[in-house]
Amino acid sequence: MNESYKIISSSILFWFSQKKWFVYSILISIFLLNLNTPLGLTVPAYHSLIILLLVFMLVTFEPIPFPAIALLTLVLQVVLGVAPPNVVASSFMNDAVLFVMGSLMFAIAIVHQGLDIRLAKLIIKIFGKSKRMFLAGLMTISAVLSSFLGEHTVIAIMLPIGLSVIKNIDTQQADGKNAVLLTLFSIAYGTIIGSIGTPSGGARNVIMINYLQEFSNVSIDYWKWMKHAYPILMIQLVVAYFVLQFTFPSSLNNIKMRGFKKNVVKIDVKKNINHLFSCLIIIGIVSSWFAFNDIYGLGIIALAGALTFMIFGMISWEEINKNTNWGVILLFAATISLGFQINETGASSWLVLKFNELLATFPSNSMDVSWSIMAVLSGLTANFFTSSATVSLIGPLAIELHPTDISFALSSAIASGFSFLTVISSPTAMIIYSTGLVSTKIFFKVGILMFCISIIILYLMSQFYWVML
Amino acid sequence: MKILIAIGGREFSKPTLDLGMKIANSFKSSTTIAYVGKKISQFSEKDVSVVHQNLDDRELYRPGIRTLEWAYDFLISKKYIEEKDSNTFDDYLLVDEENSRMKVLLKGQQSDKIDLIMRTGEIIEQLKDEVETNKHDITIIGGGGNKGIHQKLVQFIDSSVFVVKNYSVYKKYKILLPVNDSEGSDMAIDTAINFAKSYKLNVEIVSVPEGKKSIEEVKKILNKTKDKFSKNKIKTTTKLIDGLTVNSIVNYAKDDSIIILGVSPKNLIMKYFFGSKPLSIALKCNCPVLITK
Repeated sequence: MNESYKIISSSILFWFSQKKWFVYSILISIFLLNLNTPLGLTVPAYHSLIILLLVFMLVTFEPIPFPAIALLTLVLQVVLGVAPPNVVASSFMNDAVLFVMGSLMFAIAIVHQGLDIRLAKLIIKIFGKSKRMFLAGLMTISAVLSSFLGEHTVIAIMLPIGLSVIKNIDTQQADGKNAVLLTLFSIAYGTIIGSIGTPSGGARNVIMINYLQEFSNVSIDYWKWMKHAYPILMIQLVVAYFVLQFTFPSSLNNIKMRGFKKNVVKIDVKKNINHLFSCLIIIGIVSSWFAFNDIYGLGIIALAGALTFMIFGMISWEEINKNTNWGVILLFAATISLGFQINETGASSWLVLKFNELLATFPSNSMDVSWSIMAVLSGLTANFFTSSATVSLIGPLAIELHPTDISFALSSAIASGFSFLTVISSPTAMIIYSTGLVSTKIFFKVGILMFCISIIILYLMSQFYWVML
Repeated sequence: MKILIAIGGREFSKPTLDLGMKIANSFKSSTTIAYVGKKISQFSEKDVSVVHQNLDDRELYRPGIRTLEWAYDFLISKKYIEEKDSNTFDDYLLVDEENSRMKVLLKGQQSDKIDLIMRTGEIIEQLKDEVETNKHDITIIGGGGNKGIHQKLVQFIDSSVFVVKNYSVYKKYKILLPVNDSEGSDMAIDTAINFAKSYKLNVEIVSVPEGKKSIEEVKKILNKTKDKFSKNKIKTTTKLIDGLTVNSIVNYAKDDSIIILGVSPKNLIMKYFFGSKPLSIALKCNCPVLITK
């Protein structure tokens, strides 16, 4: 009896110690449910906001698996009367979710082809004249590729190239350590900055486009997004290059640009054909995003990319199934569904009303203040909560602030891409951190400067450049 | 006996590894050296896994391997492992086992006495799983980092826990054994006897009068413990110290002490929320502490 008690109580305590944030989140939600509904809010709207808070806490602290959070979000929407089952089910799947699914599969298929070897040769050929040029090239290529193919694809391709040139550097010496950090941050910042460039650069962009279409009937095509975002990307790249050179001064003597060649296996004819065909598929998909996204949607085109790789036997379903993060897909689907309900129930209008009441107390131009708060809030939330989840939950609020002015919605989505502060904010940051060569402290130290500069660039561009478009 | 040595950063892990291997060698026990990698956010775990696979394919070390390589070289330099041409890290194989566990196999590795493993995730969860799956008797961990980790380790891991704080290879250590009449104390005495015999260390037995216990009763416990050591031909001194148990022992312990304590008999729930005396001693003192289970 005593032994059984010990085992049971130890198991319960261990469960509690690991899942305490789940318990706290549920207790807070129950407490809020028992309060009176705030004035001006309907009961479903109030309940949708409680679910929003619950999801924020659960995703931030991760006490339970993402698929469980997704299912809980769906169940609670129905049980708490936010929306009937059929409405929840229909809002669960849309083009943005298909895009998340398609782009993840497409990324796995591309990475599987081993294009990094060829890309490394190309970068060395173009930028190999000097080591600083090489790093600038790594950053630029990362940004351009990431803007079309997404962060997770590009970081997986570029990191081995980066690690191979810094392989034998002694990180105990300041010069060597700075060279390592400079290389890794060049790739990371290139990839992060690039993801704001086009709609396919990140799921958050597609989610915002979908919301704008649904809630404001405003349509933004691939080209229109690029016209708004690409100049910001280019300015950010130049700034990031100098910020990194200034933060990590290094002679770069230890960097071995040809290091990657050592690992390059002889590419045979079959591989050549494979690589050529992969490039054709990628070009085909990116062109389709430009030309046909109005007709077919970004998600369906991304799925077509993964499908083509599978049909031609260039990747097996088992490989895709093993490496696709189904939990994230479910979570995005559930949070997008919740985002729709927050808008439908009028909860977002109520929040914006309260926000505007608060703004009225400010003496300065309320448009500027509301833009700044919204952009900084989107950027900061994304850094602690990841960008796509942030846009799926606070996107409706950004649109509601100025439903006919796309600059608010675009700024919110773009600011969410400024994942410079924390390592949990984006796959790129987490992958760089997982190498063990970059600490959270260093990431934040460099990131805070980049974050502030990026917000200023975004503000200036939205004020002076977007108005000309 | 099976020993688990958990290592993190290189410099901080040296004393842990050194003391851990000394213990393993003296008990002729099999040893697992575990590197627990950073917990990856669920958002990025598949992306990270794809990248790590890619690094393996390109023959670039995946994170964690460098630390294990350093640990392996350290063991060779200290002659805990015999150096052979064939057992270097130039040719390693990662075997993906269950529950985020990866075993590193080196070409030509002869001994099954030392396992090198990598795990990824929340450190307590990973070490708990490692101990439960492989039935380790002692878990050895460094004294740096978050104190909460040590508390949770002692609380949840089903093995004795050795927290290696401020250990120096150049010091001559002695065992400090606080005793009372609890079951945990008896286990600590047995462990201390084994340690003292293996290392030829002097032992200092101390006791603090607690509750309604008279000085005579405490002296009786001290003498009884001394007898157990005498039977094993181990030199001991005894000391009765006054004051509050935790503070008295923490103040009495010196830099060259290795404190060996029994686990508290207190209710688990009470221990979780309010802590326990062995745990408080382990957290407050400035020398290596072994809490036996």
